[in-house]
Amino acid sequence: MRTSVKKLATAVSASVALMAAGQATAEIKIGIAGPMTGPVAQYGDMQFSGARMAIEQINANGGVDGEMLEAVEVDDVCDPKQAVTVANRLVNEGVQYVVGHLCSSSTQPASDIYEDEGVLMITPASTSPDITERGYELVFRTIGLDSMQGPVAGRYIASLNPERVAVVHDKQQYGEGIATAVRDTLNASGVEVAMFEGITAGDKDFSSLITKLKQADVDYVYYGGYHPELGLILRQARQADLDAIFMGPEGVGNKDINTIAGEAAEGLLVTLPPSFDQKAENQALVQAFADKGEDPSGPFVLTSYTAVQLIADGIEQAASTDPADVAATLRANSFQTPIGTVQYDDKGDMQSFEFVVYEWHSDGSKTPVN
Amino acid sequence: MQDLLYFLQQLINGLTIGSAYALIAIGYTMVYGIIGMINFAHGEIYMIGAYTALITITGLAALGIAWLPLILIVALICAVLVSSSMGWAVERVAYRPVRGRHRLIPLISAIGMSIFLQNYVHLAQGSRNIGFPALIQGGFQFGSPDSFQTSISYMQITIFITTLICMTALSLFISRSRTGRACRAVSQDLGMANLLGIDTNRIISATFIIGASLAAVAGLLLGMYYGSIDPLFGFIAGLKAFTAAVLGGIGSIPGAMLGGLILGVSESMTSGYLSGEYKDVVSFGLLILILLFKPTGLLGKPEVEKI
Repeated sequence: MRTSVKKLATAVSASVALMAAGQATAEIKIGIAGPMTGPVAQYGDMQFSGARMAIEQINANGGVDGEMLEAVEVDDVCDPKQAVTVANRLVNEGVQYVVGHLCSSSTQPASDIYEDEGVLMITPASTSPDITERGYELVFRTIGLDSMQGPVAGRYIASLNPERVAVVHDKQQYGEGIATAVRDTLNASGVEVAMFEGITAGDKDFSSLITKLKQADVDYVYYGGYHPELGLILRQARQADLDAIFMGPEGVGNKDINTIAGEAAEGLLVTLPPSFDQKAENQALVQAFADKGEDPSGPFVLTSYTAVQLIADGIEQAASTDPADVAATLRANSFQTPIGTVQYDDKGDMQSFEFVVYEWHSDGSKTPVN
Repeated sequence: MQDLLYFLQQLINGLTIGSAYALIAIGYTMVYGIIGMINFAHGEIYMIGAYTALITITGLAALGIAWLPLILIVALICAVLVSSSMGWAVERVAYRPVRGRHRLIPLISAIGMSIFLQNYVHLAQGSRNIGFPALIQGGFQFGSPDSFQTSISYMQITIFITTLICMTALSLFISRSRTGRACRAVSQDLGMANLLGIDTNRIISATFIIGASLAAVAGLLLGMYYGSIDPLFGFIAGLKAFTAAVLGGIGSIPGAMLGGLILGVSESMTSGYLSGEYKDVVSFGLLILILLFKPTGLLGKPEVEKI
């Protein structure tokens, strides 16, 4: 008698386990890869918050063709070596769709792995043109390129008729890429670039650079890079009485620059994607973020949301979960998303994406200038 | 005239950063001088000093205390206390049990300690840059207001004076005090000093405590000078200070001071006259050159083979 009860119990638990396994397969895994820790973790927060919201909303509406989306979140610390490790981990876990990575220098090596392993990747933040220059089939983005952002900044500075401009960058793929585009645009519009020079990311002492900027007597300084360095440059420049106006790309445009630079952040110019959260058609979505206590105003929140939505729409329209079919569908059609109509070119770049110049304030707010 | 002012400004920039490097380098050089190991966790001790100072300053501000000298002195005392007990504990936990083994073992232990402390601060304080309040502002200006002006800020002056006081105090301590004499004896011959009744464990602990205290002073000063700190703050500074110690001759205290100043000035001159991109190339190139022609560093004593 005892044994038969035991057998029955085993049989029941085995069948329960089988049923659970059966349900678990009806899920589409979406990898979200970005920095959860490290110096640029706050951009990762934006990315994760946007992607999670999209997954929640799609699942609440019945998923994609009845299949639920499941997020697999990994931390690449915005470090190229870590990015390769986590990309391999996602592939091993059977993930076929990735929203990420964030830093261009991480996205580039990770995308090699995804392309080889047949994983579709949409980066919501990497703006380096090189990423889509390699003829990859499965690499897309929901953000513009440095080659679009640099000229916007360069043309804006040129329109102010400056006498002398300095262009500084952090020698990394993202920063140097934009800085080069800014310099070329300035040169083309006949503005003298008095200085074009790199610093080392992670440095803390910029007194020599600032002395040099003072000596060169520049009116404008464009900095290609991220906020930890520019925050310090602004602060140390203010202390050394350098009265030039600084400008930077969206990598410097977040509230952390205020905790570093304090008052010196006032008047900084930043090129950013337009505030998608201000658009009338996105107000329901903005409210959904507010209900969760999250802030949708960061530059990468809605681009990440869009990346997830494109994957879901792509799977639905292709009627297939094969990433190659989904990629072909994304290229062939146009999609209505919170960041506007998305239409891809052959390389996987959006055909149009605009950047706007903002003036940054010492309380962390910003106002458009043109 | 303008070129001279520019040169002076770069010199001031270099000397400021160089004196801070020297303060950190003392910790490397004293430990090496006494037990012949490189304490790679020293940069992290400096970072912890900076964090402690910032936490103290924020805490005092929250209590409504606004009298600057009091804030600075309390922050300095707290930073020195926390860092020096940390320096002592690191030696006790990670180095003493492996002392006297193969050279590589304490080295690996030190690297492990460095990684541990860095990640501990990552977890405890978060990985973001934290702004350091600018407590000492303003400065002197030289030259006509229409063209280039050389400026020396009160902050830079504070760094020079504090470094000078610390270095003088350290030199007096090493040359005059009983413990200082014991330190010199231990660095010359640890075994013999032990036989002569010197408590070598106590002297080694004292060395770690002195090095950590100076690093904490540097942490407070550089935190204020730069304006922000993060958990990786100690890594690069530690590397630079280690270079300064080797440049001046590792094991030699005046060598660490000289090495720090040379490194600081060569960095700022390279950024000022060549390009910031070549800053590290020139400083490390200089290190290689000096080591090629004078392997013991500028002021290092040639090692006498003991028979």
